[in-house]
Amino acid sequence: MEDIVQHLTPLLKEVSGYIFPNEIELHWGLLIVLYPYLTGLVAGAFILASLVKVFNVKELQPTYRMSLLTALAFLIVAPLPLLGHLGHPEKSYEIFLTPNTSSAMAMFGFVYAWYLMAVLLLEIWFDYRKDLIMWSRKEKGLMKWIHKLLSLFSSDVSEKAIRFDKKSVRVITIIGIPSAFLLHGYVGFIFGSVKANPFWSSVLMPIVFLFSAIVSGIALVLLIYMIVTPMRRKPIDMLCLNKLASYLFYVMIIDFSLETLDFIHRVYESEESIHIISELVSGKLFVSLVVIQVLIGMLIPLGSIAAAKIFKLPDELKKLIYFVAAILVQMGIFSTRWNVVIGGQLFSKSFRGLTTYKMTFFGLEGFLVSFIILIMPIVILYILFKLLPPWDEARQQVT
Amino acid sequence: MISYWKKIPEQAKRLVVLAAILLAVFLVVRPQLVPPDFGELGHFRASALQDIVAQPIRYAGHEVCTDCHEEVAEKKGNSYHRNVACEVCHGPAAVHIEEEETDMLRIPRGRDFCIVCHEYLSSRPTGFPQIVSESHNPMKSCITCHNPHDPTPPEKPKDCAGCHASIARSKMVSHHVYVPCVRCHDAPDEHFTNPRMYHPTKPTKREFCGGCHASDDPSVAGIPQVDIDSHGERYVCWQCHYPHLP
Repeated sequence: MEDIVQHLTPLLKEVSGYIFPNEIELHWGLLIVLYPYLTGLVAGAFILASLVKVFNVKELQPTYRMSLLTALAFLIVAPLPLLGHLGHPEKSYEIFLTPNTSSAMAMFGFVYAWYLMAVLLLEIWFDYRKDLIMWSRKEKGLMKWIHKLLSLFSSDVSEKAIRFDKKSVRVITIIGIPSAFLLHGYVGFIFGSVKANPFWSSVLMPIVFLFSAIVSGIALVLLIYMIVTPMRRKPIDMLCLNKLASYLFYVMIIDFSLETLDFIHRVYESEESIHIISELVSGKLFVSLVVIQVLIGMLIPLGSIAAAKIFKLPDELKKLIYFVAAILVQMGIFSTRWNVVIGGQLFSKSFRGLTTYKMTFFGLEGFLVSFIILIMPIVILYILFKLLPPWDEARQQVT
Repeated sequence: MISYWKKIPEQAKRLVVLAAILLAVFLVVRPQLVPPDFGELGHFRASALQDIVAQPIRYAGHEVCTDCHEEVAEKKGNSYHRNVACEVCHGPAAVHIEEEETDMLRIPRGRDFCIVCHEYLSSRPTGFPQIVSESHNPMKSCITCHNPHDPTPPEKPKDCAGCHASIARSKMVSHHVYVPCVRCHDAPDEHFTNPRMYHPTKPTKREFCGGCHASDDPSVAGIPQVDIDSHGERYVCWQCHYPHLP
């Protein structure tokens, strides 16, 4: 009891206006900010990969496998913030044993499992199968057996089998696009369906989430491509990079339009919550929403990529612009998640007051844990790159 | 069937076998892991109810306190804290009633505890005693002046803002800043000690505001004046003007 009192007393000083007693402390903290951010990166990276296979964007071929592995690395980590937040991660498998169809949150397990098992792993498996077999034939020791095991001891590299692989990859990608939409649309759905919260409750929410996810996913793969390629002492494929930047630009335009539409719609609708929301946006969320999300994370990258496209800039300068733009986009999208999750809880249900969010450093909901979770996919991605090199020169010819 | 199986590509067979193994494992493991009484009463384990019932009881309930602490209970029963249960401040007492010698309850003596309810917050109802702890005797513990079992202030509040802080704050930034509360409200002396029983008066007629704001009133220059007969004739003034921030 005294702990709670000591914890709440300093928060009380930050409260303004009229709030209900149980609204001083936010229920969803930094971990829940991470969750839509991470799933967004997964969905975005996958959609990028699907551009190659379904829409035949040949220029993006160098990033195809990289996108798939990125999606996988982030997907493995995506549920961790949820498990950390809920507590008792050892019980998490129970949602699969006794499915509760009336709870959207409980059904996430199935959305996740479907996406992981039926889409991502399958697509990666079919795409890598031939290479896994060829690698295992050449290798010795542990790697040989790892690759053998990963290929499920498959050995057929006949032309017919490889044709079947390619066809399967295409079919899975086609199934994968709506699945990726489902995965991240679901996250937006969870927020959009909270009808008691006017900041969240909007049918546009899943769509806005989805497009911001694609933005963040493309920007992430662009960053990884630009960091990993020089580290491997290989030249960056400018055709590929320009194409990535173009897609990033187009999707950002759509995302920005949707967010603007949502904004105009709210202002025009002027429901009773509009006063407190405008107080929130012009006050406590000004820096994270107006400055970071809109200006730094959206307008500046949009403007700089546009400038790089319009003016015939030298490649080196273009690279710099794309790189900086992609970092800013990541900041912007993280901020978007922050503004939705934290911002949506900062105002009272009385619509008359604002509370505050105080991040801790240690503890399960603290900064440190979130930082570790954010680093984990990068470590996993490094291991995946070692196990399943996505580089074009690693592709094997059947001998 | 066998001929059909032969037509399936090699790699697909491996996936089918893997999927079949996973499915078989799931089907075998599931009945072992799902509690047998799951779903009997709803989407939960029916015996969870017994588990919850079997949890140790921590709170004793305020009636038990009265048995031993009759004097305190009587004092509290007649005070403003009559609806605040003993365990709100003193913590769970179930163990204490069994082992009253060894398990002593806590007595909050710091300032942090009282202000959980009594710090000024505009969401609290008008008239609920609230202080701004930073300026209200900041170096003293609350219990030096207030007995928590009968927390009536030792002396009556010096001004209305002691309880009506929200109104005082509005008035402070309004044109009525120099109008004293008693100009419009007649507060009986008893209101200061028993505010819920004795209410101050409130103006009931338009003419009351007209005392300063009617155009035929020889008031101080600068006070906005209107023709009280024609200005919003069917309404009382405070339907449009909030008197504390007009």
